[in-house]
Amino acid sequence: MNCETARRLMETNDPALAQHLLSCPSCAVRTQARYYQAPPALEQKIRESLRRDDAAPVPWRWLAMAASLLLVASAAWNLVLLRSRVDPQQLVASDVLSAHLRSLAGTHLLDVPSSDQHTVKPWFGGKLDFSPPVKDVPGFPLLGGRLEYFDGHAAAALVYGRRNHIVNLFVWPSATPAPETSQTRNGYHMRSWSANGMTFWAVSDLNETELGDFVSAYRQNN
Amino acid sequence: MDSARKLALFEQSVMPHLNAAYNLARWLTRTGPDAEDLVQEAYLRAFRSFETFQGQDARAWLLAVVRNTCFTWLRKKGDQPTIEFDERMHGVADESPSAESILLNQAALGSLNGCLEALPLEFREAIVLRELEGLSYKEISDIARVPVGTVMSRLARARKRLQQCLEAALR
Repeated sequence: MNCETARRLMETNDPALAQHLLSCPSCAVRTQARYYQAPPALEQKIRESLRRDDAAPVPWRWLAMAASLLLVASAAWNLVLLRSRVDPQQLVASDVLSAHLRSLAGTHLLDVPSSDQHTVKPWFGGKLDFSPPVKDVPGFPLLGGRLEYFDGHAAAALVYGRRNHIVNLFVWPSATPAPETSQTRNGYHMRSWSANGMTFWAVSDLNETELGDFVSAYRQNN
Repeated sequence: MDSARKLALFEQSVMPHLNAAYNLARWLTRTGPDAEDLVQEAYLRAFRSFETFQGQDARAWLLAVVRNTCFTWLRKKGDQPTIEFDERMHGVADESPSAESILLNQAALGSLNGCLEALPLEFREAIVLRELEGLSYKEISDIARVPVGTVMSRLARARKRLQQCLEAALR
């Protein structure tokens, strides 16, 4: 006899049932043990208490508040990191390129048009608080000079020519020597270095090799 | 998970097992009002730890919470030595052991619930989960936090006791 049979026997009140129950307590439990149904009001009581619990101000509201504060702090910190990650050299490089492009686009390439370094150098006197090294560079005739401003500081722009190309050499005093750089932006080549407490930036549409020649010649010519 | 969604999801997955929860609590505590309070408490506990529910069987998960809530309460109450089955309390009434089959069946029904109620707590737990809820040995071992082997031996001993109890009642 299986449990299903036992169930049927229960319904017919067959005396064989008792016999089966003795042999199979599992069946007895499955077919006859009471299965308690939840009181009808219990479900509603639980739903209400869940809603009360859900609306309780602790601790979710505080957690949420703490989480949003943390988020703001972390966003701010990331912003700081992001800003500090921008290389100051790159900022200078883009300023230098802008100055070079401005000088070519407008009419203001030269304040003092002269191929004579002894004319150009004195012209800066009284306009700058430093004396830019104006030199003759073999193969790159001096065209003159003008004043530039970078980040609120005055700088000398020395202008040299090579065929139809222009080389702008920017010079300004700097407290800390910066490492030498060489880069290309928008097709313009740039070289920078430090010497004698001054920072030098050379920029031109010349090819990289010729700009390198210019820099070497300028630096060697004392 | 936002709270409105959590509540909806909880009610949808856990509320359908209210009868199973109540039945277990009722068999473990053996009193209706206590079972009702404990089920309500268990639902709150389950709701608060709903994040730990990861889509396994919601009924088994809920029954584990109910079981723990009941055991904690029973332990605190301190009256756990299970009442041994008392034949005079639960046995067949004096009217004829050799009675009509109807009476015999009635007696069997009556004494079965009494026998089950008289089982030690851990045996009762195993029997209810196995025979009334149809849970697997593994699920019961997770809920009762004992090895599967222990579940099997508890079930075997519980069945033996039930059988003895029934025999005594039907004789």
